[in-house]
Amino acid sequence: MSSVQETIFSIISKEAGIDLGKITLESTLKDLDIQSLDAVQIIFEIEDQFKITLPDRDPKFDTESVKGLVEAVERLLAEKAAGTTTATQG
Amino acid sequence: MRRVVITGMGAISALGHDAASTWAGMREGRSGIGPIVDVPTELTNVKIAAQVRGFDAATHFDAKRLAFLDRVSQFALVAAREAVAQAGLDFRQAGRGDRTACIVGTGVGGEVTHDEQSERFYADKNPRLHPLTIVRLMPNAPASQVSIEFGISGPAFGVVSACASSNHAMAQAFDMLRNGKVDFAVTGGAEACITVPTIKSWEAMRITANDTCRPFCKQRRGMVIGEGAGIFVLEEYEHARARGATILAEFAGYGMSADAGDIVLPSQVGAEKALAGALADAHLDAAEIDYINAHGTATPANDPTETKAIRRVFGAHADKLAVSSTKGVHGHALGAAGAIELIAAIGALREGVIPPTANFLDADPECDLDYVPNTARQQPVRAALSNSFAFGGLNAVVALKRAS
Repeated sequence: MSSVQETIFSIISKEAGIDLGKITLESTLKDLDIQSLDAVQIIFEIEDQFKITLPDRDPKFDTESVKGLVEAVERLLAEKAAGTTTATQG
Repeated sequence: MRRVVITGMGAISALGHDAASTWAGMREGRSGIGPIVDVPTELTNVKIAAQVRGFDAATHFDAKRLAFLDRVSQFALVAAREAVAQAGLDFRQAGRGDRTACIVGTGVGGEVTHDEQSERFYADKNPRLHPLTIVRLMPNAPASQVSIEFGISGPAFGVVSACASSNHAMAQAFDMLRNGKVDFAVTGGAEACITVPTIKSWEAMRITANDTCRPFCKQRRGMVIGEGAGIFVLEEYEHARARGATILAEFAGYGMSADAGDIVLPSQVGAEKALAGALADAHLDAAEIDYINAHGTATPANDPTETKAIRRVFGAHADKLAVSSTKGVHGHALGAAGAIELIAAIGALREGVIPPTANFLDADPECDLDYVPNTARQQPVRAALSNSFAFGGLNAVVALKRAS
């Protein structure tokens, strides 16, 4: 498990109050029974910890899986490292 | 129980600085939403709002008075002056002050003051804060300032229920009149919280749109924050008739409920209870309602839930109802929303014109009522409801009848 993935799993577990063991890359919000307000808190924590800004509606965390979210974060981190995006306020 | 009528109305909104221009904007579907001005947007993703533009407080208040007034109280006073002037009542005469209630809702109170003084303290490291900070920012300031201005010495207080604050406030005032505790009331709501931290806080919830506000249509992206005030003079019916006052509409009843569930996700059952409660309280049959001014925030969650609740309460009559959200033109004025939107219900009752749902593109299969898209419709309106469903799951629906 990559450290990005590990951090995201731990944020989801903490913010939504669910067992770490229940979260898989294939899980969707619906599978995990995560409500909208928990979802925005998860996004907030991810943005705050990684110092990135996720686009408003992409990844479609509510319909797609945790994997989509991990990939989106990894992509943004790679862009940030390459200097193609400016550092943002969360 | 006594009948209660509206004999004065005043408003200030993104559509104009009085009730007439606010109603005209609603009727025309002329959007008051535009690029944010006077508030720095370097750090905000949201760049649009429904602001009150071209408002120069100094033309309304002298400097000494202004020192006491946050923008939210300025709005409340401007709207109250218009309403009281229209009603033609002097609350300082004939012992009226003690027989008048002053109940004004707001979501957050003096947010501009809060923001300015916080910046002074945290950013400028200035340890001295303005001595009138507290009296400006307290959420009861709009109610207090209106009571002071007009000598209203009966029951007076603020009401706080986020986006339903106005409707909860006006329902309180109505009840006091109906039950004979007072003979008059000056009531409504005010909001002025378009500051950078507030915009950022709404952004963080991911429910704000950056194109415009498009209630009930498929392309809706969320709410657009607004501001302003709506204030009304309520009066006992026989008294209003006896003095020959112009009766704008009858305040017929209200329904309230709490979702007692999710803090933000709207509950269909909660909305149904408030809608059905308003009909019962006003002794109105569902079939007598011709128009509903919807809460219609244009968020993904609100609009289908509100639609389903209306369908459930109105049954077959739901297809005969005109339902519009005027938030496409004046934005979501939060604690002032219900009061500004009462202008729409009163206009519909008086002129037989349904104000449209502006900025409407394509229909959403999940929202299947007659939303009067984009163009006003001539249609007699006998009775109307005005919905407010707040964060916190607090719902308040008011019922008005055409003056008779």
